[in-house]
Amino acid sequence: MIDEALEHLVKGIVDNPGDVVITEKTHRRGTTLEVRVHPDDIGKVIGRNGRTARALRTVVSAIAGRSIRVDLIEADEAR
Amino acid sequence: MSENETTTTAVEELEPAKGEGGKKSLISRLEEEGDVAADYLEALLDIVDLDGDIDIDVENDRASLAIAGGKLSHLVGERGEVLDALQELTRLAVQTSLGERSRLMLDIDNFRSAKKEELAKLAHEVADEVKSTGQSVKLRPMNAFERKVVHDTIQEIGLTSESEGEDPNRCVVVLPA
Repeated sequence: MIDEALEHLVKGIVDNPGDVVITEKTHRRGTTLEVRVHPDDIGKVIGRNGRTARALRTVVSAIAGRSIRVDLIEADEAR
Repeated sequence: MSENETTTTAVEELEPAKGEGGKKSLISRLEEEGDVAADYLEALLDIVDLDGDIDIDVENDRASLAIAGGKLSHLVGERGEVLDALQELTRLAVQTSLGERSRLMLDIDNFRSAKKEELAKLAHEVADEVKSTGQSVKLRPMNAFERKVVHDTIQEIGLTSESEGEDPNRCVVVLPA
């Protein structure tokens, strides 16, 4: 559910929603959600001074009720 | 980026001078903003399985959305930080969809309206103090929303105010008449 919520939040703010891929990774210290976006959209999801990235983390952690790490990654050509 | 392909015609002169391109009236553009924003938020509520009614309005030249659900306090956060984050993302979603910057306001379970009342009360108290002492008063650091409420209230009272300092330490100073 939380990955779906993040996917929705990100898809709505990028120009290439079809390229958004979320991968959930669970490890001892908690959960990391990796967000891959089109290279043209990486600036958008990070935002000025990381403002958008921070907003995404804040909302996702609030929904999950615990701190969730959100990593924003530029999708490379290999995919 | 081929969004602005509309050619300039004489019809534009009939529209208010506000906004780029003058394609639509301000009100209908703000209503469109509200609709896009509501779709974005509604889908989010669906995904996380929360109930909330979304009210769309146009207020002070901004689209304004209010979600009422009763069980949404975690989407507000202790100091409204989650609400601010959600508002920021919603503005970006509108910008992505409509191609223009949005200044929409989002409220959840009346957090902002309650805050507004509290700040208006504070502004009145400070205004009284400034009037009686003739000295300016500097308030605690506030975010943009809080400062705007204070400035608006001070203006209604008939005094002037200004902001000084840099975020996150930017403060309103109320000046004697």
